[in-house]
Amino acid sequence: MSCFSEYRDIVQEGELVLLWVSRDNIRPVVMDHKETFNTRYGSFAHADIIGKPYGSQIGVMTKSSNKFGFVHVLQPTPELWTHSLPHRTQIVYTPDSSYIMQRLNCGPRSVVIEAGTGSGSFSHAFARSVQKVYSYEFHEVRYQQAFKEFEDHGLLRENVTLTHRDVCQDGFTIKDGDTTSMPLQEREPTAEIGATAIFLDLPAPWDAIPHLSKVIAQEGKVGLCCFSPCIEQVDKTLEVMEKHGWINVQMVEIQGRRYESRRQMVRTLDDALNRLRDIKRRKLEGTERRQRALEAVGPEAVAEEMARVRAVTEKSKFNPFGKGSRVKEGDEHYTWKQVTKVEAEIKSHTSYLTFAFKVMDRTRDSDKVDKILASINGES
Amino acid sequence: MDPLKEIAFDQHVIVTLPSEKGKIVELKANGSVSLGKFGAFYVNDVVGYPLGTKFEIYYEDQVAGTEEYAPLTKRDTKKVPIGKVRVLERDTSLASSAPNVSTREGTADNVELANVKSSENNRDLINLGSEIQKMSASEIEELKKQSMSSNEIISRIIESHGSFDKKTVHSQEKYLKRKKQKFNKEFTIDYLSSSALLDFLIEKGDIQRVLDLSEETMGMLLNLANVRANGTYLCMDETGGLVVYAMMERMFGGTDCADAVGTIVVLHENEHANLDLLKFSNYSEQFIGERIVTVSLLDFFEPARVEEIESRFQPLPKEEVFALKAGKKNTYYRKLKWYKTQMRLLKYTTDVAHDGLVVASTLYLPELIPLLSDRVHGSRPVVCYSQFKETLLELSHVLYADLRFLAPTIYETRCRPYQTIRGKLHPLMTMRGGGGYLLCAHRVIPTDPEK
Repeated sequence: MSCFSEYRDIVQEGELVLLWVSRDNIRPVVMDHKETFNTRYGSFAHADIIGKPYGSQIGVMTKSSNKFGFVHVLQPTPELWTHSLPHRTQIVYTPDSSYIMQRLNCGPRSVVIEAGTGSGSFSHAFARSVQKVYSYEFHEVRYQQAFKEFEDHGLLRENVTLTHRDVCQDGFTIKDGDTTSMPLQEREPTAEIGATAIFLDLPAPWDAIPHLSKVIAQEGKVGLCCFSPCIEQVDKTLEVMEKHGWINVQMVEIQGRRYESRRQMVRTLDDALNRLRDIKRRKLEGTERRQRALEAVGPEAVAEEMARVRAVTEKSKFNPFGKGSRVKEGDEHYTWKQVTKVEAEIKSHTSYLTFAFKVMDRTRDSDKVDKILASINGES
Repeated sequence: MDPLKEIAFDQHVIVTLPSEKGKIVELKANGSVSLGKFGAFYVNDVVGYPLGTKFEIYYEDQVAGTEEYAPLTKRDTKKVPIGKVRVLERDTSLASSAPNVSTREGTADNVELANVKSSENNRDLINLGSEIQKMSASEIEELKKQSMSSNEIISRIIESHGSFDKKTVHSQEKYLKRKKQKFNKEFTIDYLSSSALLDFLIEKGDIQRVLDLSEETMGMLLNLANVRANGTYLCMDETGGLVVYAMMERMFGGTDCADAVGTIVVLHENEHANLDLLKFSNYSEQFIGERIVTVSLLDFFEPARVEEIESRFQPLPKEEVFALKAGKKNTYYRKLKWYKTQMRLLKYTTDVAHDGLVVASTLYLPELIPLLSDRVHGSRPVVCYSQFKETLLELSHVLYADLRFLAPTIYETRCRPYQTIRGKLHPLMTMRGGGGYLLCAHRVIPTDPEK
């Protein structure tokens, strides 16, 4: 089974794990007892990781500086994978992908079409949640990279079919002779797809929409989401959606934010006033002392006296905010207020999400309904 | 019948009215459903059609005063006549299809406007209030009594509008939409997804009941918690079961499935769990009983010991059970059931390392989460929902200091809906505020640097 679909307990040889070095540095690594994972926080022998429970902190003492360095070993999830994957294209991040899945009601009975595959981030999230994913990529190199990645991750064996295809030109039907991960025996004559949800992340989704009616489920309601960065694309998409009988059209935008938890020092007015009083008092004392010294003896004695006095007052200085010294955020000698800080750079626009729905066959099997009714009414 | 694709008997569905309001309805065979001023229909007439179908209620061959469909009188306003339904082949929901000005004549929508003149601008439009409408309210009521179709009524209203031709096309369309929302006898029957349920609760004004949760936050919670078919999840749900409902959708897909393995352990602070909203789901009571384990916080933190349970009851070998007399056998099986429940509770409270912790609770989180997380397996997510960022902030500081948690992060996600009409795309002028926040961390196992 895939490491994305099975909950694992202990790290084993040959498994793909994510090594968490820091928030911005999560590395996918396949466990090989002969290998070592090197970071600037130390070198970690895979052999020391294999056999540990998932979630373990793996620590080493670096030889050079004798410091404790560590990483965490995690089992991949689609959401963690999103932060560690090799970027082939722009990727769909969790705020967008999770909303799309919720809106299209993705669950273990959904059959999903995704085009294009891109970096495969969303493919992983779909594969985790739905019965079957049909993913299409028109760029040959990206197709090959995605193929290898999905195969390594066990997705192709489970519920993902990856096809090299320009869906705008050639539609979604998978035929014999196609470049696809679909096993030959399933391909003939044409594979039934019956998609219940479609996600189009394409530059020109309007060219792909007309091809959909052949591959969507003929029963029930089918959902579609187009992911486009420009509003002009949305306009063209709406035109084609309407023409092809897609209804309940709605466009939305998702704004996701992450917050850092921080602390801000509580600096009271009283403390500020007292500090000013302290400065004033010491200034006054200094002037008086200098005056006295000057009156008593010569300038050499003044310098001597001043040096002595400075040494004393420096220590007694009232410094409630630790000015001039490096205060670590959260230092227990000071009072702190918990605050949040939004990320320095936010994703202010990812894409517009245009949703639409379609019911292919608006008829019912009256005989079936009558039979059910007869059995209900017969019983009672 | 497949209750995920077709409208089925004994199913809870969401019925959307012309006013865009939703209504949850249970479809009982031979029953009828009243939609108030929008009419009423027989359940048997809609069952079997695909979910998502839009229907129109119509009243055939009737003259005001016939016995079968007695017109509404003031005394009898509650009784809505039950009409027949027909499927609307071309769905003309206005949000989707308000046409472009240049293509208006060509589309089948808004036929009411096809032969009406419009103005470039509203320069000549003078606000005369209700005087501009030549028909009186009672005249319109009279038309309704004659059970005239909504299209005819709306056409009459437009005809009797003194300055309709002075309105711009856009304003005419808006006018028409308002009238349709009032007079159309159309409704759509849809699957009651967790999103639809949430939507329904929000519209009903139950925002506080669902702790101000939004659809986008709910979706993100499910993804961050990596909820899937084969996990056991520890959960606290103060939304009356909405979060559990949504988790079950992701785990089981909406109806009973024979090969289900996933489990949700629901902890509750009252004597009994409040999963009231699950009554709207398509799962059988038995299925819910198998997949959901409810445990009070007290039983969770101070579980009974095996010896205690076994001192009260011990299963007998099969031969001995067979030998029991009928009355004693019944007592035996009743006790056996109790015993099995107790042992199952014990398993989920003490033995299981959970595949995720999902909490939507107003209990004090900095105390609760570290304790509950003891029972979470390494590398698995801990996800908390709160209406307020500040409660999660406090929690995150506590989790930062606790080495069993990796990278606690507070998330916010907001969905901004647009007016989705070609040529008039812009964000809606008003939207619901709020939606809550999420905190997500991963449970990890710290190592001792001294070793």
